[in-house]
Amino acid sequence: MKRLSPRYLLLILIAAIWLVPFAFVVLTALRAQRDLIAGGVFSLSGGLRLDNFATAWNIGRFGDLFRNSTLLILVKVPLGLLISSLAAYALATMRFRFNWLVLGILLMGLAVPVHVTLLPLATLLRDLGMNDNLFSLVPPYVALGIPFQTLVFAGFFRAMPRELFEAADLDGCSEFSKYWRIAMPLARPAWLTLAIIDIVGAWNELLVALVLIGSEKWQTVPLGLLQFQGQFASRYTIVMAAILIAIAPVMAIYIFFQKYLSTEMTSGALKE
Amino acid sequence: MPKRFTPWLFLAPALFVYGLFLLYPMMASLAISFTNWDGIAQHRDFIGLANYRYILFEDPQSFRAVKNNVVWTLVTVCIPAAWGLILASILNSSIPNRTVFRAIFYSPSVLPLVAVALIWAWIYNPQFGILNVTLRALGLDSWTRGWLSGFNTALPATLVTAIWQGSGFPMLLYLAGLQGIPKEQYEAARLDGAGAVRTFFHITLPWLRETHIVVLSLAAMQSLRAFDLIYTMTYGGPGRSTHVLSTWMYFNLFQYRQAGLGSAIAWIIVVVSVLVTVPYIRMVARGRTR
Repeated sequence: MKRLSPRYLLLILIAAIWLVPFAFVVLTALRAQRDLIAGGVFSLSGGLRLDNFATAWNIGRFGDLFRNSTLLILVKVPLGLLISSLAAYALATMRFRFNWLVLGILLMGLAVPVHVTLLPLATLLRDLGMNDNLFSLVPPYVALGIPFQTLVFAGFFRAMPRELFEAADLDGCSEFSKYWRIAMPLARPAWLTLAIIDIVGAWNELLVALVLIGSEKWQTVPLGLLQFQGQFASRYTIVMAAILIAIAPVMAIYIFFQKYLSTEMTSGALKE
Repeated sequence: MPKRFTPWLFLAPALFVYGLFLLYPMMASLAISFTNWDGIAQHRDFIGLANYRYILFEDPQSFRAVKNNVVWTLVTVCIPAAWGLILASILNSSIPNRTVFRAIFYSPSVLPLVAVALIWAWIYNPQFGILNVTLRALGLDSWTRGWLSGFNTALPATLVTAIWQGSGFPMLLYLAGLQGIPKEQYEAARLDGAGAVRTFFHITLPWLRETHIVVLSLAAMQSLRAFDLIYTMTYGGPGRSTHVLSTWMYFNLFQYRQAGLGSAIAWIIVVVSVLVTVPYIRMVARGRTR
């Protein structure tokens, strides 16, 4: 066995400290409320149990919350990627007047916080007959994603060899079929990464949902979790179980797609 | 169909959605910020820059939010960046299991902030939270307190949470940046007899210039948007002592019925946000003309 250097041991220690909050949550979620109150967090008196998860799932209406967040993602993510990649394709491969202006306006969007849109947005969506509806979240979410996604797609499209597109021109391909059959398949790493970032982002988003969603039946996971905490604040064990339920999908996605998130995203943010 | 329309067909959906659901509401709220509108009534008066003057110079409550946000920004820009660079430097060597460590340090960043906030509220719980329990076990009973309900501890408590949550992303960016430094640079430094410290300051730091810009710009921008943690952990309290710009904006817009004032706060966020993002956007724009 290799000898462990002091530096490596220090790293292990830091990592362990970093994981303490998770461990604390898991440990709480596995206890009975009565045992927790009586014995404190570090004792394991009364043993470990799993029934908090079932309780939290049921009284927290997590079935509904998961359905809403999943539906939202299924609509928002493909739609947003399609719209952004179309715009990026034009910006990256076509010559036209005002190209730089469109690019500049979209780049500016990187700096615009959603906060400044909220009040008029709520009014606008009400006027469009979309108030207090799960899908009223789709247009603002898509709009907010456009700047970064267009930027990343444009970088990928620009880096593709010209010859590919010229050959397709000779075959009489339309611009759309060049986009759909050449550019998009080659940009697979881009949209895969953006999709993962987008799924996690939509699953986690609070502020816009807080403003636009009023009724319980359309609540997304963060809204539901917030309300759950409000109602059952002192039932620590089931609140912690609820947290673990709410984060399980993003954790699974993260662990499964870690490779894409860590390398591709950073190169996306850096190079483009 | 004329060929010169083709680009605009590709751009149309994006420009439509972006224009209607981002640019239009943004400009509408600018207009609202110059009025004394309450958010519901038909009636509103144009009052010029009075809301801005009120926030920045007259209202101590609003100024408190500005001040808190300056603190929040300084802390959440500097500490996660420095900490991320340290972690990245350690992980950029041939250390066993480095992907596991990377995953551990980055994992808080993928969680919903509401969940992060609730996890830390539980850590800070006066009776059962591990912080106070640990302090009691160490015999430091006098140090225990209600961390989120104390005027002096509430904001720092949320900042610790933000650091835990926000260090992973700078670490990833710095890892990518470090991998872009040519090995020959380090060999040359070694041949010149430069020590670890000198190598770090004369090679590593300057080579990471672009990464610094990205890390600092993005962190500063994020710090102006910080809403979820404060809203969930302290709800602006105790009193109104932990409000930052975004929560103060939200409360004015949607609870105190001060639409004009809230919109002015939102526009202050926009202006500062644009200022801190300019270096990042300029770098991105330069990258594409090069």
